[in-house]
Amino acid sequence: MTARIGIVGIGHTRFGNSSEYDLADVMAYAATDALIDAGILEQRREVDQVFVANMASGLFCHQSSVASSMVSKLDMEPVPAELIENGPASGASAVKIAYMAIASGMVDVALVVGGEIMRKISGWEATDVVATMLHPEAEYAMGLTLPSFGGMFARLYMDKYGCTERDLALVAVKDHDNGALNQYAHVQGTCTIEAIADGETAGVVNNYIAEPLRIYSTCPVTDGAAALVLVNMDSPKAKLFKKKPVRIAGVGSATDTHCVHNRKDPLRLDAVRIAGEKAYRMAGLTPGDISFAELHDAFTILELAISEEIGLFERGKSYLAVRKGETTIKGRLPINPSGGLKSKGHPVGATGVSQVVELVRQLRGEAEEGRQVRDPKYGMSVNFGGFGNNVVAIICAKD
Amino acid sequence: MIDFSMYDVKTPEILGYKCQTCGAIHYPAPMICGKCSTRRDPVTGRKWETFPLEGPATLLTWTRVWNLPEGYNVKYLLFGIVEFENGLRASGRLGVDDPKTGMKLTSRVEESDERPGKPVNVFIFS
Amino acid sequence: MAIDALELKLRPPELGLTPYPAKMITLASGEIMVVRECRREEVGVLLGTVYPLIGVAADYYDIVACRMYEELLGWYRYRTANEFVLVGAINGVIAGIVNSRSVDHKLGMSLHTLTIKRGLRVGAQLFAAKMENHIEYQGADEVYIVAESPNGWKRWMLEYSLEDRSSLYPAVRHELGGGPTFCLTRKLWDAVKASKCTGTRPVPPEILATANKLIMPTEYVQIPGFKR
Repeated sequence: MTARIGIVGIGHTRFGNSSEYDLADVMAYAATDALIDAGILEQRREVDQVFVANMASGLFCHQSSVASSMVSKLDMEPVPAELIENGPASGASAVKIAYMAIASGMVDVALVVGGEIMRKISGWEATDVVATMLHPEAEYAMGLTLPSFGGMFARLYMDKYGCTERDLALVAVKDHDNGALNQYAHVQGTCTIEAIADGETAGVVNNYIAEPLRIYSTCPVTDGAAALVLVNMDSPKAKLFKKKPVRIAGVGSATDTHCVHNRKDPLRLDAVRIAGEKAYRMAGLTPGDISFAELHDAFTILELAISEEIGLFERGKSYLAVRKGETTIKGRLPINPSGGLKSKGHPVGATGVSQVVELVRQLRGEAEEGRQVRDPKYGMSVNFGGFGNNVVAIICAKD
Repeated sequence: MIDFSMYDVKTPEILGYKCQTCGAIHYPAPMICGKCSTRRDPVTGRKWETFPLEGPATLLTWTRVWNLPEGYNVKYLLFGIVEFENGLRASGRLGVDDPKTGMKLTSRVEESDERPGKPVNVFIFS
Repeated sequence: MAIDALELKLRPPELGLTPYPAKMITLASGEIMVVRECRREEVGVLLGTVYPLIGVAADYYDIVACRMYEELLGWYRYRTANEFVLVGAINGVIAGIVNSRSVDHKLGMSLHTLTIKRGLRVGAQLFAAKMENHIEYQGADEVYIVAESPNGWKRWMLEYSLEDRSSLYPAVRHELGGGPTFCLTRKLWDAVKASKCTGTRPVPPEILATANKLIMPTEYVQIPGFKR
């Protein structure tokens, strides 16, 4: 691939509870921030194409076609706009499609916005909406939900590799330490290992959600939006932008069986591995080149499993690295310096875009003090759709 | 002549699918056979046959879920993934309160109306 | 105050409640919440804590706060029989209040649960402490419970598998507006207490001391821009 495509503008709302606002407003807010960061607010019609990532606005907010509504909010007509849906990987898919649009030569500047409002409905209804991703007869009908699969996967992983519930809690403590410093994070309070694992009252305070996953091993239900402005760095339009682009070095994605029970090996996340391999190949990199990563920790077990599938740690051994502090901000390989989905939150359509916003903030050196990765060169994100049946990996470079 | 058996009380079943071209079995129903690429027509069912997916199964993994979605009014439910003797795997509810990975269970199917819309068939492994 | 013959006629009969032993719980943030019984002379800070929430319509705070305000005054002025009030305090600052009363030695009538500090399951812990007090310390066999909010219903009726007594209305009805009444029996409590009720006793003296003087919260997430 010879196209050089970079990110020149970022925007991000404070993740949390935006349920009293209109979804298109929340998305447009992040988009406006990105246009301002890119320096093209007045010349926003220089954008050739808008891609909006959203998973289920129809079910969460009783609204559809939000790409069209958002473009109007931004007063950006007649710029073309389409919705990209890939479950919780919608965000990274939108970045991938925008990349492909620019690489095709049909688009020079693209605006990517990911957003979701999940809190207009109750938590039980939101769990049900997310569960609609599952196979309707073989999984959804049984009453299964995403946390159920998280729990079953965690059980298999813990039984095979010796990882404990305390290790899952250590990941949460690290995520919260980072999120507490992230101005956009949903949950900005830290938690202590004493309180959620070691202490006498921890078993009840950190209660089970889907055994062995506990409340502090699962991400919150969150509203929010994030946005990026992408440009073909070799096009005449690249001159519009003052900030040095953060280049997208590699993109990869893959699918796996819909039904989790039909995976070849229930402990493997093949779509993650293949997506990662494709991204590395495109970027000409290996796992050893990655300085930090934003990995989809909807359940903290996934931070561990995904980090192994993309080759950052040996299979089954990542929890040992967590115990040694290797994945903290001061460690050898910071993972989820943003706080991850656990602390930053997980508005499903926004997450993939939010992860790339974080890659850009870190590579630009613009992260808050105390959670800035030291001298990063390459950052990688993995956005996990369904229960791993549709995964997108992105690598960004500070050239 | 009318087929009066349509009024019989039916025991709910969950079906496995067998490709008649190559003999491969699948659950749930695919559109294309993964082994020989024979297509399945959901309308006529030509070249495919169904069979009840049932019997003894081994528990591969399980969880007890406390945060149930809208529509469920029980405190918790147990779920698991099992493997039948014919090699097919399935997800479903567990009817045992103290599951252990590797234990042998038997399947049964019940109708449930906890999901929105028409009642659905649910595996219960106990 | 002088307790003359008329005042005695106005006061409800007293069963004599067992004091609730204080405990402490480490919340997920690492903060330690002391859960202890309140004394009548502390009613001022309790009322001051509850009062601002009377104006918050969201999440049924208004009706819960309003009813609890009345119940606290009823307790303070000896016009409600055998009521007890428990508070959860973090460094002395009130995080949540629960109140309830004993109908007799065998039956509790759960009143209200009000959470000020959100996001740390304070309400869940205090509700469990209230039930613990009724069954373990007051010796009740049953506690009647109603919920004003859907959240309350799901958290208590569902999670504790409370027995539905609503079909026995009006013979069995909760004092709070005669709402559909659910019941926590000793058997149901025994089945859930390990997963619902926790706490360290005794509370080390230096930590208990932090909760000696209760402090009204200076901020309410429910009331943006609150100033006392």
